[in-house]
Formats: sequence, C-alpha cells, structure tokens
Amino acid sequence: MTELLKVIDLKKQYENDEIVTKVLHGVSFNIDEGEFVAIMGPSGSGKSTLMHIMGFLDKLTTGKYIFKGVDTSNLSDDQMAEYRNFDIGFVFQSFNLLPRTSVFDNVKLPLSYAQNPGDITAKVKQAIAAVGLNHRINNLSNQLSGGEKQRVAIARALVNDPALIFADEPTGNLDSKTGGQVMRILQTLNKRGKTIILVTHEKYTAEHAHRIIKIKDGLVEEDLQVANHIEIKDGDELIK
Amino acid sequence: MNNIFASSLRIAKQSLLHNKLRTLLTVIGIVIGITAVITVLSAGQAIKGLIIGEIEAFGSNYIQIEVKTPSTSQTSTENTFSMVGGATITTMKESDAEELAKHPNVSAYYTAIMGQEIVNYQNEIKKVFLFGTNADFVKIDTGQVEAGRFFDSDENKGLAKVAVLGSKVKTNLFGDNDPIGKSIKVGKEKFIVIGTMKERGASFAFDMDNMIFVPVRTLQKKLLGVDYVSFMTIQLIDNSLAAETAEDFKFTMRELHDITDPDRDDFAVTTMDQAMEMIDVIIVGLQFLLVMLGSISLVVGGVGIMNIMYVSVTERTFEIGLRKALGAKSRNILWQFLFEAVIITLIGAVIGIIFGLLLSALISVGAKSQGFDWEFSISVSGIILATAMSTIVGLVFGLYPAKKAAAMNPIDALRHE
Repeated sequence: MTELLKVIDLKKQYENDEIVTKVLHGVSFNIDEGEFVAIMGPSGSGKSTLMHIMGFLDKLTTGKYIFKGVDTSNLSDDQMAEYRNFDIGFVFQSFNLLPRTSVFDNVKLPLSYAQNPGDITAKVKQAIAAVGLNHRINNLSNQLSGGEKQRVAIARALVNDPALIFADEPTGNLDSKTGGQVMRILQTLNKRGKTIILVTHEKYTAEHAHRIIKIKDGLVEEDLQVANHIEIKDGDELIK
Repeated sequence: MNNIFASSLRIAKQSLLHNKLRTLLTVIGIVIGITAVITVLSAGQAIKGLIIGEIEAFGSNYIQIEVKTPSTSQTSTENTFSMVGGATITTMKESDAEELAKHPNVSAYYTAIMGQEIVNYQNEIKKVFLFGTNADFVKIDTGQVEAGRFFDSDENKGLAKVAVLGSKVKTNLFGDNDPIGKSIKVGKEKFIVIGTMKERGASFAFDMDNMIFVPVRTLQKKLLGVDYVSFMTIQLIDNSLAAETAEDFKFTMRELHDITDPDRDDFAVTTMDQAMEMIDVIIVGLQFLLVMLGSISLVVGGVGIMNIMYVSVTERTFEIGLRKALGAKSRNILWQFLFEAVIITLIGAVIGIIFGLLLSALISVGAKSQGFDWEFSISVSGIILATAMSTIVGLVFGLYPAKKAAAMNPIDALRHE
C-alpha cells in the first residue's frame, strides 16, 4: 500500500516563561493510505500533541513529518491552513459545531475557505446524506442529539474529501449505543478507502481500529496490528 | 475561485444577524455622528442658497465701497475689533461717490450711513434704526415703496425732514392706520412720513423692515452732526468690467484721500463676485468646523465599536479556533472581523443619512414657516463623505480586534469552549 505519512524522530517541546516542557521525545512510525489506526495512551502521554502536529494544527520542534511524500516539517501558517482545509478532516470529542447555525452551514464551513470549492451545495448535501442526516439539513445545530451532532461533525470532516480523518475521542461524549453508531460510520468510511486516525485513551474504542499505536510518556510504547478488531454490524441504515 | 472578500463578507453578515440587538446598539454612536454631519452639510447648502438668493435678488452688477481701518484687511478681526471698539473712519464723503459716479461704467449709486434714534408718534415710542441714503436707493436696492413715495434728490440736498417707514416700523407706530402725511418725532426733530416700504421678509443682514429711511444729508446734519458716510453702493452698466472698474475706483479713492500706500487704504472695494466668494469661504469654514464636531461623535462611536468587537472576539474564541482548524487562514479571520466592523458602521451610515435628511427637511420646514427661503437639498457630497467616514471608522477601530482574532492559535482557541 502507498505510504500516506511518516514521522521520523519527532520531538515537541513547549517553552513558557523559560520553563521547557518536553511532550514528545522522538516518535517514529508510518501510516499507509487506507489504514484505520488508533493512537492510544493515557492523558498527558502526548497523543493529542502528536495528533495536532500530524493534523497541521501545531508545529514540531525537531524531527521530520513527511506527508504524501512531501517534507512538511517547516510550513508557514498559511500552508498549514491549506493542508488542514484540503487534506485533513477533524472530528472532535465535543463535536465543535457552530451554535445557532444550521446543519447545512456547519457542514459547509470548510468549503468557505477552500481554494476551489466546486459545487458547494451538492458537496454539502452529499456529505450530509453520507451520515444519514438528510432530514436534519435545515435544523440548527443545538436542536440535535449528541449522536446527530457527531454525525454532522463527520459530514463536515468529509465534505472536502480529505486524505485523512482525525477522530479525537469521537465517542467520549456519547452513550455506548450512539458511540457505536459513530464507530460504525468511521469503519464504513475506512472500508471505502478513507484513512482514519482515531485518538483515544480507551482500549475498547481503540479496538475498533486495525492497528494500535500506544503512546506513553512521549514515546511509542507499542505498535501492533489488531487481529480481531471489533466490527460493528448494526446501524447500516445510518450510512448511505 | 472562492473569493476571500465574498466569503468573509458572507460570514460577517451571518455573525451580525445572530446578534441583532448588539449590532443595533453598537450602531447608535455612528448614527448620531452621521446624522450630525449630513444635517450640517445640508444646512450649510441651504444657508448658502439663502444668502446667494438675497444677493442675486439684489443683482450682481454692483460694487460696494465701505470704510475700513487702514492697514487691516477688510474681513480681518483687527478691522472688526477696531470698528466695534468705536474707531470711526470719517473720511468717506458723499463727494467721493459723486466723483466715482463720473466713471463711464456707472449707472447709479447711493451712499448710506446708519444711526439709531428714539422715534415717537402719539403714545408709541420706539428705538429704531435710521438708514440715511440717496434718492437712487429705491432704484438700486430690492426695497420697493408700498404707499406714498421715496424722497427725491432735491429733498436730500435741501435737508428735508421726510421719512419713509419700513413695514415693521409702520405697523409698530401706526398699526392699521395710514401714516402718510403724519408727523413723527425722530430724536428732537419732527419728520413727515411721505411713504412706506413693502415687507421684505427675514434676512441674515439688517432687518430692513425695521428701519426708517431718511435723506442721507438730513441724517448727517440734523441728527448725527457728521459729514461722512459708511458705505456706498454703485451700480454698473457692464458687470463684465466689474474687476477693472473696481481697480479704477480704488485709484480714484486713493487720489481723493491722498493715499499713496495701498496698505493705508481707509476703504475697501468689493465687487459682488468677491462678496460671493467671501460668503463661500465663510460657509465652507463654518461647515468644516461643524463637521469636525460631528466627527467627534463618530470617533466616540468608533471606540464603542472597538469595544464591542473586542468583546465579540473574546466571546467567539472557540468559533475562531474552529474556523482556523477547518482551514481558515489568518487573513480570512482578519477580513471577517473587519467586515463586521465596517458593516456595523455602514448600517450606522445608512440610518444616519436617513435621519440627517429627515432632520434637514424638518429644519427647512421650520425655517420656511419663519419666513426664510430655506431650500431643503440632499447633499450628495455629504452622503459620499458620510459613507467614506464611517467606512474609515469601521476599518480603523475594527483593525485592532480583528488582528487579535486573526493572531489566535487554533488549538488554544478550540480549548476555550
């Protein structure tokens, strides 16, 4: 399979009032296109920082980050914004929808900043249909249930057809049933070829992925394939 | 191509609609400022029209010669102060006018001096302005005789004690009775009323309705005990030669007054075109001052906008973080917030322009009811100025909060929820 990204001896430290906090101590791995990887670790392990760097939200201190064969270690803020817009979709734990804004407008948001957005209305409708929320398209985001909100967030992550979707504790604020539905959508998207990186501290959630990279104290502790990952069968009606 | 301006504008519009009340409250300062600017400019135009109307009614083929303090300019404060302070220039005589009238471009002239006297008729006692002038005054001035007649040059020469009453004086002293042929007491002298003048209506200059017209020599000799006049108005045959004629008058006046240094002129010659220019300068200056005062309100409004935008940026930290996480560049955010500020000020401008025009129309109606020929006009340059000023206020005062928003780090901003 084609390599999507590669991190080489990635280190990250924060300096605040001359106090240096080292978060990542030299992380290396690569992820191929079409993989479903869980990055797992306790809070404070550095997994969120790793996701921020791989998602072009933050810059690394030393090391290399190769994305689609291009060294992206030293990008400008604007270049990072373009990568985030074009190549990355984010699904956050707390959904992060704009309040008092319609489902349609929330999903449309990334296209507002795209260089060549194309047919915006068609793309937005398609993304909303993909998560089975056609009937909610004109509802305001605060009129939705938690599960529906997270599905809107997934639609928003899909709308630009990115190479990679980051899901940061996507089930953290959901009950197990709706959480299962969200995982089912992610698994289906993966089956259709999307690369998905799931960031979680829960073993159960991580086991929905095909590969788990365990992070502890800023280092890769373990990188293993999941032989029998949890496959969610029901909830197909949610996905078109 | 997704235009950065179009998308920023669309997003800004949505955000403002979400906060309708706040947007409206923020707008008030701008509304007041723009209302003031529009009203002042419109009033300025009306006043200018009013004055020019008066001058045009009078005609423009005139040259006016007034006394002035030597070594000052006619419109200078030094001249005004020395006049008000009681310095009287006594060098301008009726004989000067007679000499100037020999100029081939002169068709008629009048000289004038004013005084104030107690006037009584039976039990009515009034303090009234006296306007001493020549018989040709009625030929030149817009004032018209309503009843009786104006005095003639023989009466002037013969120091006849005859009076023509302005319409207000007539009403004040005689009510509805016919004053012609009646005797009134002006100071200690008895005058015979030989005519009354038509009402002229409100004016920015002297209230000519509240005056008694008497022969200039009678006023000089019988009442004031002087031999000079304050100004003369000379009617020209060909106004296209006004500037040259004015120069000739200056030359003649200097000869008559033995003046070699123009700085020592004790008179000022003004053509009507020059008078119009002077009025223009005064009105533009006045408007500038008042617009500046109105602009203070715009600045105060601008600070209000900055304050609200600043609060808004802090409140919407999460939104900014999210937009950045989804691919918004710093300049997208900058423009979004700048547009919000400019939209607020433009809304203020539109409301302010409407209020300003309404207020101007109201003032026009009020002034007309007071007898002023006050034309309501829409000042296009005022509207353009107001729109430009409010856009600038929006850009200037929106810039700091917008920069703050644009500089936010998406990760920190997202944690802010």
